[in-house]
Amino acid sequence: MSDVLALLVEVCEAAAAHGVHAEARWVHTRDEALAVRNGEVSEVRTDVAEGLGIRVRVGGGWGFAATREVSSAGAHAALTRAIAVARAQPVAAAGPFAPLAHGPARGHWAGPCEVDPFALSLEARLAHLHAAEAALRADGDARIVVTSAHTRSRRTRTALASTDGAACTQERTETGAGVQAVAADGEETQVRSYPMSHDGDVLLAGWELVTGLDLAGHAPRVAAEAVELLTAPVCPEGVRDVVLHGEQLALQVHESIGHALELDRILLGEASYAGTSWVQADALRAAGSLRYGSEHLHVTADATLPAALGSFGWDDEGVAARRFPLIEEGVLLAALSARQSAAEIGLEESGGCARADGFARQPIVRMTNVSLEPGSAGSFADLLADTESGLYLETNRSWSIDDRRLQFQFATEVAREIRGGELGRLYRNPSYAGVTPAFWGSMDAVCSASEWRPWSFTNCGKGEPGQVMAVSHGTAPARFRGVQVGVA
Amino acid sequence: MSTDPLDLADRALAFTDGDAQVTVTRERSLLSRFARSTPTQATAVDDTSVSVLVVRDGHVGTVETNDLSDDGLRAAAARARDAARAAADAAGGPGEHPGLPTVAQAGTPSAHAGFDAATADLDPAPGGAALAAAFAATAEHGLEAFGIWTTGRVETAIASSAGLRVADDVTDAYLKVIARDAHGRSGWGAAAGVAAETLDADAVTRQAVARVATSDPVALAPGAYEVVLEPDAVGSLLDMLGGLAFDGLAHAEGRGALTDRLGTPVAATGVTLVDDPLAAGGLPRAFDADGVAKAPLTLLHDGVAQAVAHDRRSAARAGGDAASTGHALAPGGSPWGAAPTNLVLHGGTAPDVGALIAGVERGLYVTRLWYLNVVHERSTTLTGTTRDGTFLIEDGRLTKPVRDVRFTDAALGILERTSALTTATSLVCEADFYGRRAAHGCVVPALRASGFRVTGQTTG
Repeated sequence: MSDVLALLVEVCEAAAAHGVHAEARWVHTRDEALAVRNGEVSEVRTDVAEGLGIRVRVGGGWGFAATREVSSAGAHAALTRAIAVARAQPVAAAGPFAPLAHGPARGHWAGPCEVDPFALSLEARLAHLHAAEAALRADGDARIVVTSAHTRSRRTRTALASTDGAACTQERTETGAGVQAVAADGEETQVRSYPMSHDGDVLLAGWELVTGLDLAGHAPRVAAEAVELLTAPVCPEGVRDVVLHGEQLALQVHESIGHALELDRILLGEASYAGTSWVQADALRAAGSLRYGSEHLHVTADATLPAALGSFGWDDEGVAARRFPLIEEGVLLAALSARQSAAEIGLEESGGCARADGFARQPIVRMTNVSLEPGSAGSFADLLADTESGLYLETNRSWSIDDRRLQFQFATEVAREIRGGELGRLYRNPSYAGVTPAFWGSMDAVCSASEWRPWSFTNCGKGEPGQVMAVSHGTAPARFRGVQVGVA
Repeated sequence: MSTDPLDLADRALAFTDGDAQVTVTRERSLLSRFARSTPTQATAVDDTSVSVLVVRDGHVGTVETNDLSDDGLRAAAARARDAARAAADAAGGPGEHPGLPTVAQAGTPSAHAGFDAATADLDPAPGGAALAAAFAATAEHGLEAFGIWTTGRVETAIASSAGLRVADDVTDAYLKVIARDAHGRSGWGAAAGVAAETLDADAVTRQAVARVATSDPVALAPGAYEVVLEPDAVGSLLDMLGGLAFDGLAHAEGRGALTDRLGTPVAATGVTLVDDPLAAGGLPRAFDADGVAKAPLTLLHDGVAQAVAHDRRSAARAGGDAASTGHALAPGGSPWGAAPTNLVLHGGTAPDVGALIAGVERGLYVTRLWYLNVVHERSTTLTGTTRDGTFLIEDGRLTKPVRDVRFTDAALGILERTSALTTATSLVCEADFYGRRAAHGCVVPALRASGFRVTGQTTG
């Protein structure tokens, strides 16, 4: 990567000679998706993309140009284009830009990867998926209409230079997998997934993650539950105490805390698409003035969390990875920021949350790993035993939240009755709804560190043009009192 | 070296052997973003990618790259061949992919009106002028403007070992403006088209300004309401319904919303929904990702379910006389199915939205919907909220702004309870360009329906 880093430094020097602030990124991604579906290899796909993205600031105006031409001519043409695009905008006042408090980014960072997935043969990995997918169909129930097992691997190599003196390179490998069974009968269709829905479990890791999941071992239970859901009673509506499984709770954190604390949203920079936030900037200028939830709510942003998808050495503005508290004992302390948004509210340094999806997109504020810290409620069994009556909700099925991140509705694949401190019958089509501060205010117990783990989401959308980002959220199961259940 | 996409496709195809398809996609685009009546981001993209699909014994392997050198294309072809071979070896028998379409199977793509030469020039200056117009029109009312202006050109070429050689060249343009006051009350305006010059920034902004509430919104209790949906809201519903109800793979597997319902009424009389990829006024396309020629497909006629969408892969899975309807979403067909992407809902007899509102004693007027997601696939039940302009209708007129509400309702159910449609239709799209630019939209009227199920409301 040294040659391309030299190219980026060269183009930044050219920008500086014209008095233009510039950040130049080179990104090379290799994505591989393998899937077995209904006994067929349904997908063997590799996408490789490489290019340059150059962001400039001319006066108060921003411009960004992306090209696949990784050459001196391509880089300088992109710089010229970025400047022209910036100059075509209506004149804007030059706002503040937070300094690099810890100096410019220099060096190389690489994420963990024990067993390189790209070094393994396709045949071996497909055989692994075949075995898992076959196990979903093992009992031959005709009501199982779709069975699938999938894995994805992504390697991203980046280089960044800037007129602020950044010159760094990074390498990340993401690997994950999952299985899913779809059952249909009459007017009903039900889905069951393991270890989580959507893209499955994905981490900064290698193939060791996939083998550790034991997909084939869990498959028979997954298929059996999909069939059982077809005739399970519909989840009753009403106000109930609810215990959320870690994955569902992670998505709850993502949607109603992570997004709500993105400072660009708070400052209305995302009002045209992703929306704003119920949190006002004044609550950040006067840290400690806003109660977000109960005293059990401790939330941390951590771009240094090992193996988590929101971890890195430096963000895409060259700010070093940081860990800092967002909420302590239910009280808001900080937000997720990049250099411009941090400066707008008078912060002395960026929160280090600027990330871009590939070479053709510019950095915007994205969550690093926003996690609910473990509590003191002990094991999951301890939490259940302490719950006389309620519902246990597991595995996300759908999610929706308003543009201020207040009113939400989530559905899960399954609910189980909690009765007398134990899990009981299965319910289908469960959902629950709430309003962000009231919901987090109702949380009265969080399981302890032994139950805590990061859950990952690879499909977080934001920005225009659209950007997809991956992030992890650490959670342990938690209990919420008096939740509206079954509105859907 | 030629920069023509079809020439590039031919060059890449020369590195393959056996059954192979090469798809070249070149995107050039501009997008200017603004908030608080200030430009915030401006993006220019120039990228070309080559996708190589190889079919071996009914199994497929796909590799995409934007390395256009001979070495890069040769490596992509070899990797795709190895991928297809690995899939065949792992399966231990023939796969169900029906193979690449021949020229006769693909048909001849029709000419369409989806390209505008001036828009293809990609000049950033009109974007700057559009932003300036939006800032000025909102400032007149003490409001601020938020939104995007974007234009793009996407060239697509397919060459295959079966003799297919097709190319398409399309442009699109989109402008949206959200006008917002100091209290956070907002209104929505948007326009889309093939040509950038058709975007009237002043008119779009004034539409947004007119939808900003001038008094505090009232709360609306959960319940079933008569509703008038503006075209943007209708388009959002139909966009979701397209994948839920008309996915031929889901239908073939017995899990689709129209399972056992084709030929039966599923929507109100008067509701006719066509996927029309050649419609003027839409965003036309010549062929799908398999290279199969696009043609209109009637999905609902007078409320009766007529058809589902297929690519060659899902049609083979369905068996019988099922055939591709030109709806492949990825080369070789997406493993997750096919879906319509050019929906046209025929207009009705109401002269305008005012006539729809006039017929409502007490109900809800919705400008647009937000964050739709599927709660239950089979019943097409969706949830989402309203946004940027929601009002109460009382005695046939708009009376008060309403706090945004959450709805949870079946998309097909709303069409079943539709009682009136405007005559005029418009192109609506959200311009959600994740990954490569692929603008699509719906051509729809405004509609009135009963029993719209409100399940919650925002607070604060």
